[in-house]
Amino acid sequence: MTFARESYRTVVVGAGIVGLFTAYHLARMGGGPVLVVDRGFLSSGSSGRNGGGVRQQWETRGTVRLAREAVHAYRRFGREFGFNIWFRQTGYLFLAENEAELARLQRVHSLVASEGLPSKVLDPEGVARLVEGIAPGAVVGGTYLRSDGTLYPFPAIWGVYEAARSLGVEVALGVEGLGVEVRQGRVAGLLTSKGPVAAGTVVNAAGGWSGDFSRRAGLDVPNVATRHEILATEATKPFLDPMVVRASDGLYFSQSMRGEIIGGISFPHRPGTARGQGSSPTFLAAMARALVGLLPRLGAVDVLRAWSGFYDDTPDGFPVIGEDPRLPGFVHGNGFGGHGFMLAPATSRRIALTVLGQPTDLDPSQFSPARFLGPSAPATAERLQLG
Amino acid sequence: MGEEDRHFSFRGRPVATRDGETLLSALSRDRLPLLHRSIQYHRPQGPFCGIGHCTGCLVRVNGRPNVRACRYQPVPGDAVTTENAWPSTDWDLLATIGFLTPRGVDSLHGLRRPAFATPLFQRMVRRLAGTGKPPTDDAARALAAPALERSVDVMVIGAGDAGRAVTAALARRGVRPLVLERRWRPSPLDGAELLAGTTGVFLPPPTDATDRPFTLLAYREPAQGVRVEARSVVVATGSYDASLLFGGNDRPGVLTAEAALELTVPPRPPPFRRAVVVGGGPRVAEVLGRWAHSVEAVVAPGEIRPDVVREASDRGIPLYPRSLLVRARGRRRVRSVDLRSRGDGARTHLACDAVVLAHRRTPHAQLFFQAGAVMEWRPAIAAYGPRVGDQGTTSVRGLFAVGSVAGVGPEEVAAHGASVADAIVGRAGPAAFPPAPPVDRTPTELLGYYRELLRVRGHGQFVACACVDVLLSEVEKANRAGYRGIEVIKRYTSLGTGICQGRYCLPDALLVLSLLEDRPPQEVGYITQRPPVVPTPLAALAALPLPPTLEAIP
Repeated sequence: MTFARESYRTVVVGAGIVGLFTAYHLARMGGGPVLVVDRGFLSSGSSGRNGGGVRQQWETRGTVRLAREAVHAYRRFGREFGFNIWFRQTGYLFLAENEAELARLQRVHSLVASEGLPSKVLDPEGVARLVEGIAPGAVVGGTYLRSDGTLYPFPAIWGVYEAARSLGVEVALGVEGLGVEVRQGRVAGLLTSKGPVAAGTVVNAAGGWSGDFSRRAGLDVPNVATRHEILATEATKPFLDPMVVRASDGLYFSQSMRGEIIGGISFPHRPGTARGQGSSPTFLAAMARALVGLLPRLGAVDVLRAWSGFYDDTPDGFPVIGEDPRLPGFVHGNGFGGHGFMLAPATSRRIALTVLGQPTDLDPSQFSPARFLGPSAPATAERLQLG
Repeated sequence: MGEEDRHFSFRGRPVATRDGETLLSALSRDRLPLLHRSIQYHRPQGPFCGIGHCTGCLVRVNGRPNVRACRYQPVPGDAVTTENAWPSTDWDLLATIGFLTPRGVDSLHGLRRPAFATPLFQRMVRRLAGTGKPPTDDAARALAAPALERSVDVMVIGAGDAGRAVTAALARRGVRPLVLERRWRPSPLDGAELLAGTTGVFLPPPTDATDRPFTLLAYREPAQGVRVEARSVVVATGSYDASLLFGGNDRPGVLTAEAALELTVPPRPPPFRRAVVVGGGPRVAEVLGRWAHSVEAVVAPGEIRPDVVREASDRGIPLYPRSLLVRARGRRRVRSVDLRSRGDGARTHLACDAVVLAHRRTPHAQLFFQAGAVMEWRPAIAAYGPRVGDQGTTSVRGLFAVGSVAGVGPEEVAAHGASVADAIVGRAGPAAFPPAPPVDRTPTELLGYYRELLRVRGHGQFVACACVDVLLSEVEKANRAGYRGIEVIKRYTSLGTGICQGRYCLPDALLVLSLLEDRPPQEVGYITQRPPVVPTPLAALAALPLPPTLEAIP
């Protein structure tokens, strides 16, 4: 027997942080029995491959509010889940190289500040105080929010995994979702690589693979998986507290609890999951050049390893949360564009509410899967897809 | 400049250096120095691998942290200091962390309460984190060197016996390959361009689109990035002496046979007088051949080969076949070892001043992993290597394996090199890559060894990963908590995420997990090998050329 039961109220596809958190909330809300399946091992997808940043500086109010809720949840994580995720609120520092970028960051600052968060606009001296050794003249200014921070992703996965299991959630690893079984126009079960399983609701929380899975269920969705690379250096004594993000090219890096510099850079990659989660010589060169240009002393720091993971991108930069109007019983919890981990505590609760048919406070024009089905493109967009 | 004028400073005192020796050799004149303390518990750690992978000889040179002394050639005037110990590596008060927490610190569950104190805990832990202080701007500037670019038909990685054989065969067929060699002073190589001091660090899967499908990134120490495009790549990276799990396995004085060999270039006496040599095969014969007068005993996890038995008996060296090496004792240097016979459980205590590991060799197979070659489990050596067909072919077209990384023995290297050269120039083959052979079900001998070792009391305090200070008990705890597979255990415990990137700990961890999970090692998982193969400074990578437009990245 692959699964403990023949039938579940809900099956979640994807045992990343979003899928596990959603299952956890479902179980807490009495929405069981719940099964989570994942094609790989625990932490094999983007939840185990990200830089650990958690920020509240966004271009739209809805995202800022979700992020603020997520920060509070991660602060409580150690007490609630028994694992130390080393959530360190030492801020996110956005850098502007010219006045146009600074103006954009100032707009973000105004929005974030209007939500009651202590965001600050910094001049080059203020930036230099936070980034010891920054190249002179590298920036015209930046914005800084000290309650943003970084965490260590792995213990967060273990914590939610164990908590969900202790609430009776079943997690089946090495089981791939191949499609859904539809009966009388609604979801009746999940087809898996280990056989079918009956379920009233299927949640697509497959991260980089969510577009593929929706299409396997016969649903045309605009999600695109893009590969993003990242590297980690040897550990030196800590000298850098905030996560640093450059607006122009999406360079981001922070220094972990262990002292490694961990970061990446956004540049166009060919979409697609087929290429695997490897690295490229171009990334290593481009990332090294950007890091050394900004913080020259890093030239003498050694790279230990590089890897990559997938962003699950949507056309307007907002996640997709809600039941698909074309297929009752098929619930989306995806499209997080590389920010699933940082928002997961807040978004997953709402995905769970949706599964249970309860209302959420999410603006449907920004989050509902229906927004892509109309004749015109969605009105607003979240473009601060950095770090 | 006279010989006596060549000095660098070590902790403020002048040390003489001879041409052609490494910083570690220069510092090991009378005895192995104590250069490093383990990252978390501050145990003394000694030079272990000798080839630039372990943490045992990390020092600070001219403001650059974490320089591996075994891979650095000192220049007169260099300022060398030790790091991450207070007041010094000889007497380090931070070692109290280890004394106070003999069972290790549980950083996964610990230090969470009370909530108001977490920022304090974080500041404290962060103060203790890391090894060296960050580099100075001057140190980084000194490393800025233009990259080296080459475009060739054939590239050979490694100028050991196998690399030389294939290079000579290629030269006879009119091909002049580019040869990369990690050693600084390899003997000259006719018919090839030889880049010494250079390690291939990244060989991504080939692109079919271009005339030269392979792009290799290499690191030419101390600071140069190298980018080579080639039509064919021959990997002749050889093997390295593996580690072994036992108590005190990272204590100063425990080292691989390879480290001992590297430390005696240029020729000089070995860094020990009374060594316990571990193993029973050809590598032990080699150690006895060189330094028999400095060997106290031979201890083998399994049987000892007849020629080694003869050699040792002739010299009156005692042999301990089928013995558990339980523990190396000593404080800042190995003083003795505890053995237990696997037959009757008899215990032996041997005084010694070194433990030389020569029990098995693991292929340097990272480039094959990176290039996407089909790998296979080799039970006899408990390691993965590329699946190799006729004439050195691998599943990746244009990528060849020769020498021990291909499982080719020293006596066959010349003939094999000639056949690989034939395949490359198209005289014969390359034969179609063979379909999967039946899985080799030979039991891995070391599994039985570890089954017995895991019954030894106190084995939980053995160091499973010396770079990051992970104890064996943490691996067992992760297993008991229900986590399975090497990939997950690695992320759960941080095992294998330090400077050596798991080179020395993961092969043994795989065997331990095979026992704990009760399934064959190859089912416990693949050991992912991420680039770069050796730690490479950002300055060297930053100098590498970029395509004119980043849109063009495949």
